[in-house]
Amino acid sequence: MRPLLRKHWQHLVLFPLALLWLSPLLWIVVTSLKTRTEVFDPASGLLPRAAQWTNYPQALSIAPFDTYLLNSIFVTGGIILAQLVTITLAAYAFARLRFPGRNLVFGLFLLQIMFPIYATFLTNFVTVRELGLMNSLWALMVPFVASGYGTFMLRQAFRQVPTELADAARLDGCGHLSTLWHVYLPLVKPTLVAFAIISVVTHWNDYMWPLLVTNSESVRTLPIGLGLLAKADSGADWTRLMAATVVVVSPLLLLFVIFQRRFVDSFMHAGLK
Amino acid sequence: MTQTPQRFTRRSFLAGGAAVSVAGMLGGFPLLATGKEQVKLSFMYPVGVSGDINRIVSGMIAGFNAAHADIQVEAIYAGTYDNTEQKVMTSLGVGDPPGTWLPINSALQTFLVMDALEDLTVLARADDIYQDFLPGFLGTCISDDKLYGLPFQCSTPVLYYNKAAFERAGIRAAPTTWDELMSTAKALTVRQGSDVTQWGLTIGGGWHDWMFESYVRQNGLVPWTKDKVMLDAPEAVDALEFWLKMAQAGVMPTASTWQGSANDFMAGRTAMLYHSTGSMTNLRTSSPFPVGVAPMPKNKTFGAAMGGGPIHIAKKQPDAHKRACWAFARWMTNTANQSMWCKETGYLAARKSSWESAEMKTFVAEVPEARIALDQAEFAGAFLQVPGYHKVREYLKSALDRTLAGEIRPDVALREANANSNREIQRLLRRRS
Amino acid sequence: MLLPSLVFLALFTYWPILRSIWFSVHDVMLGSNEIFFLGLENYTRLLGDGLFWKSFANTAIYTVLTIPLSILCALLLAVALDTRLRGMAIYRSAFFYPVMIPSVAAGMVWVFLYAPGYGPINGAMAALGLPRLEWLYDSAWALPAIIVMSIWKYSGYFMLILLAALQLVPRDLYEAARLDGVSPLRQLIHITVPMISPTLYFVVVIGVLHSYQIFDYVFVMTQGGPADATNVLTYYIYQNAFQFQDIGYAAAVANCLLLFIIGLIGLVSLTLGRRVHYLGK
Repeated sequence: MRPLLRKHWQHLVLFPLALLWLSPLLWIVVTSLKTRTEVFDPASGLLPRAAQWTNYPQALSIAPFDTYLLNSIFVTGGIILAQLVTITLAAYAFARLRFPGRNLVFGLFLLQIMFPIYATFLTNFVTVRELGLMNSLWALMVPFVASGYGTFMLRQAFRQVPTELADAARLDGCGHLSTLWHVYLPLVKPTLVAFAIISVVTHWNDYMWPLLVTNSESVRTLPIGLGLLAKADSGADWTRLMAATVVVVSPLLLLFVIFQRRFVDSFMHAGLK
Repeated sequence: MTQTPQRFTRRSFLAGGAAVSVAGMLGGFPLLATGKEQVKLSFMYPVGVSGDINRIVSGMIAGFNAAHADIQVEAIYAGTYDNTEQKVMTSLGVGDPPGTWLPINSALQTFLVMDALEDLTVLARADDIYQDFLPGFLGTCISDDKLYGLPFQCSTPVLYYNKAAFERAGIRAAPTTWDELMSTAKALTVRQGSDVTQWGLTIGGGWHDWMFESYVRQNGLVPWTKDKVMLDAPEAVDALEFWLKMAQAGVMPTASTWQGSANDFMAGRTAMLYHSTGSMTNLRTSSPFPVGVAPMPKNKTFGAAMGGGPIHIAKKQPDAHKRACWAFARWMTNTANQSMWCKETGYLAARKSSWESAEMKTFVAEVPEARIALDQAEFAGAFLQVPGYHKVREYLKSALDRTLAGEIRPDVALREANANSNREIQRLLRRRS
Repeated sequence: MLLPSLVFLALFTYWPILRSIWFSVHDVMLGSNEIFFLGLENYTRLLGDGLFWKSFANTAIYTVLTIPLSILCALLLAVALDTRLRGMAIYRSAFFYPVMIPSVAAGMVWVFLYAPGYGPINGAMAALGLPRLEWLYDSAWALPAIIVMSIWKYSGYFMLILLAALQLVPRDLYEAARLDGVSPLRQLIHITVPMISPTLYFVVVIGVLHSYQIFDYVFVMTQGGPADATNVLTYYIYQNAFQFQDIGYAAAVANCLLLFIIGLIGLVSLTLGRRVHYLGK
C-alpha cells in the first residue's frame, strides 16, 4: 500500500484538483444544453433531461458569428504577426547591442505594460480617428502592434543564447538580421510560442476597445457577440450565452489540445529566466 | 417563447409598417422622393433585453430603411446603457456624434449640459406626440417644457413574486403597502438553522438606487430637481430606515447584483423580487414556477421611477439629417412598433393608441401582468435627471450599501451622499457657464 | 531595430501618457471641447477622496494576495506534474484551460458558482460543514471571491512557466538529497525554489502586470460593489473617465497608479531581483 501511495501520490492530489478546476467548464457545457427553465430549477438535477442542441444555432443566429469569427481570426492573427516582428527586433537590440541609454529605453518599453489601458482609450480613440482607421479592422490592431511584454520576455530568452554562437555566425560574415534569423530565432522559438499563447488569448477575448472603435457588424469580433447575450438589462440569456461561450472558446481549446505537446514542450525548453 | 406569438408578431409588424409610411406622408414631411442624395445616419443602442429579441430592433430598422429610400439607418449595438452613453460622448468629443441614440432617461440633463440634444418641441407639436404619448412617459424627455427625445423602451421596477412560494406560505395576495411588504416578506423567509434558504424579498442590486428613488417617491418626494438632489430629506431617510429594518429583520439580503438577483428569483432563492418590467418576459419564461407581478407597494402614496430609454437626436448635424432622425424616431415609436416591443419584452408601450389596439388588448387579456406596470406608470416619473447622474448614482449606491452592511447610520450616509452629489452637480453646472 | 516598436509605442503609449499628464492638471470633460486649467487641484482632490484610497487599498490587497497565492498554487501543481505521469496531458489541459475562457463568460459563470443559495460552492461548503457565505453579496467576502477566481484563471499559466523551469533542475541534486534523508518539503524549499528562483522572479513580475485583469471581473461581476468593496484603481479610472466624464481626474488617478506600479516593480527588483541574481549565478 505504502509504495503504491508513494508512487501515485500525485494522482491523489491532482485528480480532485483537476476536477475542481474543470467544474466551471462542465457547468458551461451542461448549461448550454439545458432549457431555460432547467437552469435554475433545483428539482431538475444536474444534467438536462434532453440535450437542447438547438441552443447552439439559436445563439449563433443572434449575430453574424461567422463574420465575427473571421474578423477575430484576422485581427488576432494580424496582431500576433506584427508583434512577433517588432518584439524580435527590439528584444535583439536590447539583448545584444550596446548603445547609450539602453536601460532607459528598455524602461520606456515597460511603461506600456504598466500604464492602465483604460487611461489610453480616449487619446487612442482620437488618434485612430485622425489616422482614418475608425470602424475598420486596423483600428483593432494598431494600438497593440508593439508589445513591451513580448519584448521583455524575448530579451530574457535572447540573453541566454551563448554569445559564442552569435560570434561564430558574425565571423562567417552574417549581418545582424541574418544572425538573428539563423542563430537566435530557432533557439528561442519556444519563448515566441509562449508569448504568442498569452497574446492570442488576450486579443481574442478583448471586448471594450473593439466596442468603442467599431460600429458595423462587418468589422466586429466574437466577444461583442457574447456581450449581446451577457450584458442585458433583463438578466443574461444563460443557455445561449453558454452555448456561444463554447463556440468562442472552442477554436482556442482545439488549438491547445491539438498542439498541446508542442505548446508545452515550448514552455519546457523556453527556460524563461 | 412559443411559436404562435412570433408568427403573430411578424404579421402585425408588416401591417404596422404599411400603416406608418402612410402616416408619415400624411404628416407632411417632405422626406420621400425628393431625388436628393441618400441621408445616412447611425443609431447607437444598448440591448435592454437579451438574445434573439435583439433581432426585433434590427427588424424594425430594416423595415424603416425599406420604407424610406432616401434614408439609410445603421444600427450600432453599443453594449450596455453605460457603454452606449460612453460611445456617444466619445464621439461627441471629437465633434462627430451619431444622428440618434438610445440612453437611459436619467442621462437627459447630462446630455443637455453638453449641449448635445436637438429640441423637438415644434416637430412634436405638429404631430400627434403630445396627444398620443402617455404623459408620464413623455415627461421623461421634457426639460423646461421642451421635448428632447421620444420614449422608446419604458420600464419601471415592479414586484415579481413566486406564486408557488406564496401558496406554500398560505399567502393569497401580493402586498400593497410597506407594512404588508414587511409582514409578507417575514412569512416567506425560510431558514434552516442559521442559514436562509429562501429570502422573503430581494431588491435587485446594481440598480437598487433606482428602486430606492421609487421608495422615496412612495413617501411623497421626488428627491431631485434638474440642478440638485435632496437625498437627505426626511422622506429619503425614512425609506432607507425601512430598508434597514427589513435587512435587520433578516427578510432580505443586504446586497445583491442585477444578474444575480434575477437568477436568485428563478432558482427560488428569493420569493419576491424588485426588478425591471423589462425583465418580465425573461423571468416569466425562464422560471420553473408561475410568476406573479404586482405594483410596488405604497407607503404614503404609490410611486415609481421610470427606467428605460428615449431616442435622442443630435443637435450638431445638418437639418436634412435632423429631419431624417425625426422620421426614424417616429418610426421606432409608432403604434405598431411600440405594441410589438411591449409584447416581446415587457417594456411598456409609450403610446395610448398601442394599448388601445386590438392586438394589445388580446395580449393584455392573455398576460394581465403586462398591464400592472402600465397602471403603476400613472404614478411614475423620470429617474434622477441631474447633470452627472452617473456619479450621483455611485454616491447613492455606496450610501445604501454601507448602511445595509451596518457600517454607517442611514441619515449620516445619505447626508454625505447628498453633499457629495450636489458638489459634483455644481461643478458640472459651473463648468458650463 | 527599435524603430518599428518605438513608432507604435510613441503613437499609442507615450502620446497617451503625455496627454494623461497634461489632462491631469486640467478640467477635461468627456464629450466636450472646453478645457480649463486647474493646476494640481485634481491631485489635491484625490488626497481627500475616500473612494480613491479604498480602491487603492483594494488594489493592494488584491495584488498582495493573488500573486503569492497563485504562484504557490502554480508551484505545487508544477512540482506534482514534474514527473512522467500518466494522464499528464489531461492534467495540464485541465489547469491551463481557464486562461483561455473569455473574462466576460468566466465572470458570468462564477456569478452562478458563487450564488449564495443554489451555487455549487456554497453547496460544497455546507457538505464540508463550513458556514455558507453570501460571497459577492457580502462586502467582506466579495474581494476574496474575486481573488479565488483569479487564482483559478491564472495559476495554469504560471504553472506552465514554472514547469518549464523545473525540467532544467539537475535530477542528481534530488538524488543526493534523498540519500542524505532530506524530506520532500525541505527539498522543495532548499533545492527547487533556489534553483528556479530566476523564473519565480519573472513570474512575480508578470503576475503584477496581469493583476490589471481584475478590471474585467469587477466590470462583469460586481461593478465595484457592494459598498465599494471591490472597487479597484483600474475600475475607478474607467468609472471616472467614461461614466463620470471626468477625464482630468481619471488621468490623475492613472498617473498615481503608474507611479505605484513603477515603485512596486522597483521594489521587487531591488529586493527579490538582487537575491535572484546572486543565487542564480
